[in-house]
Formats: sequence, structure tokens, C-alpha cells
Amino acid sequence: MIETHHLSKLYTRGLYALRDLTLSVEKGEFVFLTGPSGAGKSTFLRLLLMQETPSEGEVFVNGHNLTRLRRREIPEYRRGIGFIFQDFKLIPTRTVFQNISFVMEVLGVPASHQRRRVFQVLKWVGLQHRINAYPKDLSGGEQQRIAIARALVNDPALVLADEPTGNLDPDLSLEIMNLLREVNAGGTTVVVATHDRELIRLVGRRTISLDQGRVVEVA
Amino acid sequence: MRALDYALREAWASFRRGGRSTAFAVVAITLAALVLGSLLLITWNVDRLISRWTDATEFSVFLRDDATSEQRGALEALIDESGVSAGREYVSKAQALTRFRRQFADLASLTDDLGDNPFPASIEVRVRPVADADGRANGLVAKVMTLPGVVDVRYDREWIARLAGGLNGLRRVGLVLVLLMAVAASVTVAAVVRLSLFARREEIDIMRLVGSPTAFIRGPFVAEGLLQGGAGALAAVVLLWVGFVLVRSWAGGALTTLLDGSSLEFLPVGQLALLVATGMAVGAAGGFAGSRHAG
Repeated sequence: MIETHHLSKLYTRGLYALRDLTLSVEKGEFVFLTGPSGAGKSTFLRLLLMQETPSEGEVFVNGHNLTRLRRREIPEYRRGIGFIFQDFKLIPTRTVFQNISFVMEVLGVPASHQRRRVFQVLKWVGLQHRINAYPKDLSGGEQQRIAIARALVNDPALVLADEPTGNLDPDLSLEIMNLLREVNAGGTTVVVATHDRELIRLVGRRTISLDQGRVVEVA
Repeated sequence: MRALDYALREAWASFRRGGRSTAFAVVAITLAALVLGSLLLITWNVDRLISRWTDATEFSVFLRDDATSEQRGALEALIDESGVSAGREYVSKAQALTRFRRQFADLASLTDDLGDNPFPASIEVRVRPVADADGRANGLVAKVMTLPGVVDVRYDREWIARLAGGLNGLRRVGLVLVLLMAVAASVTVAAVVRLSLFARREEIDIMRLVGSPTAFIRGPFVAEGLLQGGAGALAAVVLLWVGFVLVRSWAGGALTTLLDGSSLEFLPVGQLALLVATGMAVGAAGGFAGSRHAG
């Protein structure tokens, strides 16, 4: 699903965020990406989302060579990826339903299908009763579950999560991880960037450790 | 169609909650459209007047008091054979005096004290538009001037040409002014759209990340500019109408006399539609430019 060859990301003033990264993630795998702050976890996810471009090396995701992807091809590539962020990135002026249906609407999915699918994913994350609530009325755990529902609503082949439990307490963090494990059980590839070693130990999946932009351990 | 529907819904919502910044953009478009509308209104009415005068072009040949009937006959034959005339009328000295007394009733008493009738007899020739356009009328006037028995010829074509030239000058200056104001209005709309873009940056980030097509991302901003432009242009039409009604009520009588009996007219529907469409295009251009970093 994901393959990188000697991937580097160089910022100005000669600072490497990632350096000579060669790794692979199989289709249907659940992988943790860990390391201290500044290790390059978020940069790696940003490269996979095409929010940034590599300075050197190659990245292949789901059959796409990202170093050769043209600007106009990026939207179509991104439609195959679900993303989850630490700060949830829900739109405060929209209800739960609108936050989720919005990503289907902008892809031109008919309204009737949107309603059915939103209800389906909300039921799956256990928040169907909060369908008309606004983000400010939800707890942190509920907001992250909505963000997961939004990430899954278009049936992506790959889910990327950047510190998805960073703002949550340990119980809620485990709850979110269990949801992501269920997503993975359905065949979706999941990559989670986190610095929470305890959570990684509890979930127990393959872990790629980064430090100063390099892979230092694969366990 | 879904992209259009989405763009219009989002634009309408943004337009309604836009507040002062939206009002600012609408006012900028209104001012530009008002200048364009005024220009159209003036040129429309003056054009009508020129066209009326051009259609009714005529020249008058004034005869000497001692002109003989042979000289008059030769003159009329030359006019008839030239192909320039669409009709002619002989106005005798007595008819000229009567006409003066009728048209200028206030001054009629002045003529009572005159011993002799001072008005010359004349032949009034209606000129065919084609002969006016191809210069044959000018040639005939030059020839008539040299004939015996003719004291003067009055042909007002030059004055109309000067008026038309002046109108073209006004139109050019006006268009430059309109163009500058349209650019200023478009820049204002772009600035307002950028504010709207900033307010919705999270939404746009998410749209980008889910792979939303550019039409969905930029469409609402272009549509927002379009709405601002349309609202501004419609406001300009209303102001223009109010201004037109006021001018007509204050100076309608004098203008009717100046316009040779025809009254002032407001812009026809086609030109009003053009004005609104221009406002919308200027707004949409601003929206397009303002949202260029969104897509």
C-alpha cells in the first residue's frame, strides 16, 4: 500500500525533516509511526497526503507514484485516503450530520445516499443520537469519533491518523484505537502517528520508530 | 449541476452573513455600475436625438428677393435631378413671415413695425439618408450656392457631425472611467472574498484533503462575487431610475424642447440587462481572482 525509497524532506537552511527513509506498509496492515516531537511523523503523513512534496526519493501509495503525480491529479488521489487529526478539524458552524455529509457533498454524492451513509457511519461510531449537535456541544472523545466517521464515510483504502488521541484521556484513547482496529479489520490500511508508547503497547501492532527524520527501529 | 447548486447555496449563505465587508463590495460595484448606467443613459438619449436629426436632415436654399421664376425653376430642376432630394417645399416670403409669427408668438409684434417683409423666400429640401451619407448632398449644396438668385444655403449636417463626435469623445472618456471603476470594484470584491476565504479556511483545508474538485472549492467564492456584483448593479439600476425620474420632473419641459419635441427615455430592458450582467461579471472576476489560492 505504501512504499518509500530513500525519501527525504529538506527544509530551508539545510534542516532535514525526513532523511533517506525506506519503508513499506502492506495493504490491510495497521502500523504505528512513533518517535519524539520533531522526529518527522507528521511530515511523513503530510507527504502521504500530498500536502508537501518530497525533496529526494520516491513514494508510492496505492499504486500512485507521488513524486510524479500532477497537481490536477491530487484531488482524485486524496479521495482514496481518510484522515484524522489530533485537533479533530470539525467545522464549528456545521452540525454533526453536515460535517460528515459535507465530504460526500463536495464529491457530488446524491443527497439520498449521503443521508443513508452518514447514518450508517454514525451508528458504527455509536453517535447516531448526536446527528444534529454542533461540535461545541460534543466532548473531545465524541468529536474524535465524528472525525473518524468523516474519515470513513467515503470508504477509503487508507486511513492516516496524526496523534488522534493527543487530546484525549487514556480510556477514550483506547476507545478510539479500538475503533481504528475495527476499521482495519474491515480491510482498510491504517497508519497512526503517535508518541504514546503505552497505547502502542496495549494495541500491539507493527511500530516504525523515527528519530531526527530517520528510521531507528521497526518492531 | 451539483457543483453549481452547492456554489450558489454556499455563496448565498456567505452573502447573507457577510455584513459590512459584503456591503462595502456591493457599494463599490454600485458606484461603478452607476457611472456605466449614467453613461449609457446619456448616450442612449443623445444617440436617439442624433438619429432623429439625421433621418430628418434637410437644407434650406434662401432666394434673393429679386430672383426670377426662371432662376427658381432652374434651381428646382437641379435639385430634382440630383437624386439627393426626398421632397422639397417652396416657402414664399409671406409664408416665412407667417411661420415666424406662429413659432415665436412673443416676438410677433416686432414684425408689425417693419415696413417690408424681411424674410427671404426659400426652398426646403429633405435629404435622402443615403445621399447624406455618401456626400452627394454636400456636392449639391456646393453647386446650389453658385447659382444665380441664391443668397444663402443652410445645411446643418456639420453641426450634427460635431455633436456625434462630441458624444463619441464622451463615450470614450466614460468608458475609461467605467473601466477604472470596474477594476477598483473587482479588487474590492476580491479583497472581500479573501476575507471570506480566511473565515472558511478550515473548511477549505478539509475540502482539499478529501479531494474535492476545484469547482467545489472555488465555485462558492466566484458565485459570491457574482451575487455581490448582481446586487450592486441592481442597486445602481434603482438609483439610476430615481435620478432619471427626478431630472425629468425638474427639467423635463426644457429638455423636451431641447430634444426637438421628444421626451427623455429610460434605458431599454436590453441595456439594463447588460448593465446587470456587467456588474455580475465584474463581481465574478473579483471572486475568481480572490479565490485563486483556494483551489
